[in-house]
Amino acid sequence: MPCAESMRVQAYFDGEADASSAADLERHIENCAECTALLDDLKKLRAALRQELTYETAPAALRARVMRALDAQRPTKWRPQPFWKGAFSGMAGTAIAAGIAFFLLAPQLTNPLLEDLVTAHVRSLMPDHLIDVVSTDKHTVKPWFAGHADVSPVVADFAEQGYRLIGGRADYFDHQRAAVIVYQHGSHVINVFSWAATKDSVPRDTTRNGYHMAFWRTGDLVYCAVSDTGWDELRRLVRLLQDLGAHDNP
Amino acid sequence: MDDRHHRFEVLVLPHLDAAYRFARWLSRSPYDADDVVQEAILRAFRGFDALRGSDVKAWLLTIVRNCHLTAVRQQQRRAFVPLPEEHDADDGHALIATTPDPESTSMRRDEQRTLDRLMSALPEEHREVLVLREIEEMDYREIAAVTNVPIGTVMSRLARARTALKARWLQEAGREPHAVR
Repeated sequence: MPCAESMRVQAYFDGEADASSAADLERHIENCAECTALLDDLKKLRAALRQELTYETAPAALRARVMRALDAQRPTKWRPQPFWKGAFSGMAGTAIAAGIAFFLLAPQLTNPLLEDLVTAHVRSLMPDHLIDVVSTDKHTVKPWFAGHADVSPVVADFAEQGYRLIGGRADYFDHQRAAVIVYQHGSHVINVFSWAATKDSVPRDTTRNGYHMAFWRTGDLVYCAVSDTGWDELRRLVRLLQDLGAHDNP
Repeated sequence: MDDRHHRFEVLVLPHLDAAYRFARWLSRSPYDADDVVQEAILRAFRGFDALRGSDVKAWLLTIVRNCHLTAVRQQQRRAFVPLPEEHDADDGHALIATTPDPESTSMRRDEQRTLDRLMSALPEEHREVLVLREIEEMDYREIAAVTNVPIGTVMSRLARARTALKARWLQEAGREPHAVR
């Protein structure tokens, strides 16, 4: 007979419990041998799945096939019959369609900073764009930034916690040469951007085009971690970097 | 390239790898996964205008899943033997381990194969929630949207899937002592 709290312990493990129930559950787990064992099992299973399972990226042949199929979609095929058909035509119709397209995108991409970050993240995922300096050693990555970026962020490998440092990159961004630290987390790439803080406040955490963006500030630098990992997984890396930053800049 | 193609490439295509991974785990066959992904991308392109908000990945994976279900139904109609949900260990191996690997002798590869095989032997509704949660790192709300069930069902399926996978893993560890640490 499993403990009645097992489902909530699972939700806690998955980062779905709010702060107050998380505190309750932590107390419960401390006093319940069964839930302690459950949490341990959940952690082991997750580590195994994220480390040992085969991750495959879309094969190049499939990618090419998809691109050809998209190219074959001529504009006349996809354009839906609009309700105003007949009422407007030619230029006016095009202008309205363009207006609607803009309206659909506008709420997502109003802040140019957020747009730049997502674009930089997506660009980094293209072949050969991810890393300028390939290294799992912070003593290689950090000095490399000195010659290639305007800032010197905290760099560390967190392979044991599931975030493997795979290298660094310089990106021109917000009128300066930003430093980007690249981590591999399971099948996901996490880009950690950093640039010199200006007077503007640090943006709130948000999701754009399916990518989570977590912002924070340490000392004179603003950081932003971008990835399609879960929020919980992204914030865990943020906490590791924040702790490290607090240590470096007391 | 017109504007619509451009927006699609920027917003949707970066999730092609996630779509492929999900299709691979649903169909358990690279050939079927290719077809499912291509169909899903085309459907996504046609339905692109209906996309609201920023949850592009969940939206695309929902389409992948629907394409997979359609493909399975078509195969059944063509009187093929439907893919069994539960099959013996050797079957699972043949279904998933199709790519040759240079490190095939390493122990890590053995563990990987074991886990791949155990995963592919799980019932589909267990496999999909596990992949979405542990590999794609989606939250309950997103998983509920992709699999088209309430959040409570996502939670209970996840719990059952994890219990089932753990049980099989332990069973396997009994047979091959090095397969589990």
